[in-house]
Amino acid sequence: MKNAINVFLIVFILSCKKETTPDTIINPPPPIDTTISTIRYTGNFQNGPWGTTSGTAIIIETNGKFQLRLEGFRVSSGPDLKVYLSKELQPLNFIRLGSLKALSGDQLYDIPATSNLMNYPYALIHCEKFNHLFGSAQLMMQ
Amino acid sequence: MIRKLLIVLLTCIAAQTGWAQKTVSSRVSQYVDLTATFGEAQGSLAGSFVHNWKLGSRKRFEIGIGGRWTSYSGSKKDFLTAGPAKYTRSYTVPFLIFFAGQEEQNFDTLTLQRPLSHSINAMLNLGYTIAPKWYVGFNIDVIGITFGRETSAIFTSNGVTKTDPASKPSSFNLLLTGDHDQGSLNSEFYLRYKLASRWSIKALYQFVFIEYQSQMISQTFPDGEMNDRFRNKANNLGLGVSYYFKN
Repeated sequence: MKNAINVFLIVFILSCKKETTPDTIINPPPPIDTTISTIRYTGNFQNGPWGTTSGTAIIIETNGKFQLRLEGFRVSSGPDLKVYLSKELQPLNFIRLGSLKALSGDQLYDIPATSNLMNYPYALIHCEKFNHLFGSAQLMMQ
Repeated sequence: MIRKLLIVLLTCIAAQTGWAQKTVSSRVSQYVDLTATFGEAQGSLAGSFVHNWKLGSRKRFEIGIGGRWTSYSGSKKDFLTAGPAKYTRSYTVPFLIFFAGQEEQNFDTLTLQRPLSHSINAMLNLGYTIAPKWYVGFNIDVIGITFGRETSAIFTSNGVTKTDPASKPSSFNLLLTGDHDQGSLNSEFYLRYKLASRWSIKALYQFVFIEYQSQMISQTFPDGEMNDRFRNKANNLGLGVSYYFKN
């Protein structure tokens, strides 16, 4: 009976997935080439209620394609961190750009072509699993 | 004389009781059952009490009732539109609905971040003794209640994502077949091996419905009807142990 319980616990633990974000970005993007890209929106990150965040959020347009660039970026560690463009500071209506690639360093995220960026004035670092905001940047048109 | 009569009377009562117990024990099986199941980023623990009647001259076939507690836990699980069946299936005739096609254009997704629910249901059991130590069975929840933890969720509909800060488990469970079902219902197909007179172990396939309701967000069907019920239909494998009171 004791062995059976141990087997249950081992299998249960092994069935759990661990989610971690790397500390630093492995392949940072090259600097913005202003001859082919245009800066459309920028904003500085501020701490959220559940984390400390610094750096700059920049939306660039390259050949009609939009990307969110995080520069000089750093955030405190947390589980299941995602990058959002959001209509609100606390995300209710948002576009998920993906899992945060690293806790620090420059990084780039593609923005879906259908998005109307005027409606999404916040770049957020959000812990999706616990619905906790780690940091936000209010985006200003350039 | 009175003393002798009393001894005879007690002997008769004891003999009658013993015979009665022997009869009941041979026609009835009663046991408690503990089960753990595992799936992708989800799992469940269940405890049940089962009372089965043995049928037929060889008493191999069993049918019965019981009660089951099922605790389900998951991480970032997609729950799909739970109904009404008229929107999710090509036809809705009870039982035949199992064979109906899915109306996938009406399915939206509620991704629950940390679902945890506890259900207490009455259940039905069927079983058959295939060999002296081997037994196959099936059980399914019929009606009951569910409670559990509220959790944040991401609602996705036609590429648009929204947050529901506190989705919660649907509280009422009722087996009505297919997408007519309400709430959270557990079922198992299992193969059991008798270790000793009172102890058995089993391996099982579990098909479990877990249903949550969104609180701030609703799905809107093409005709304007709203839905806030979303269901995870999980296929899991598991192990269990049973202790018999009567067999």
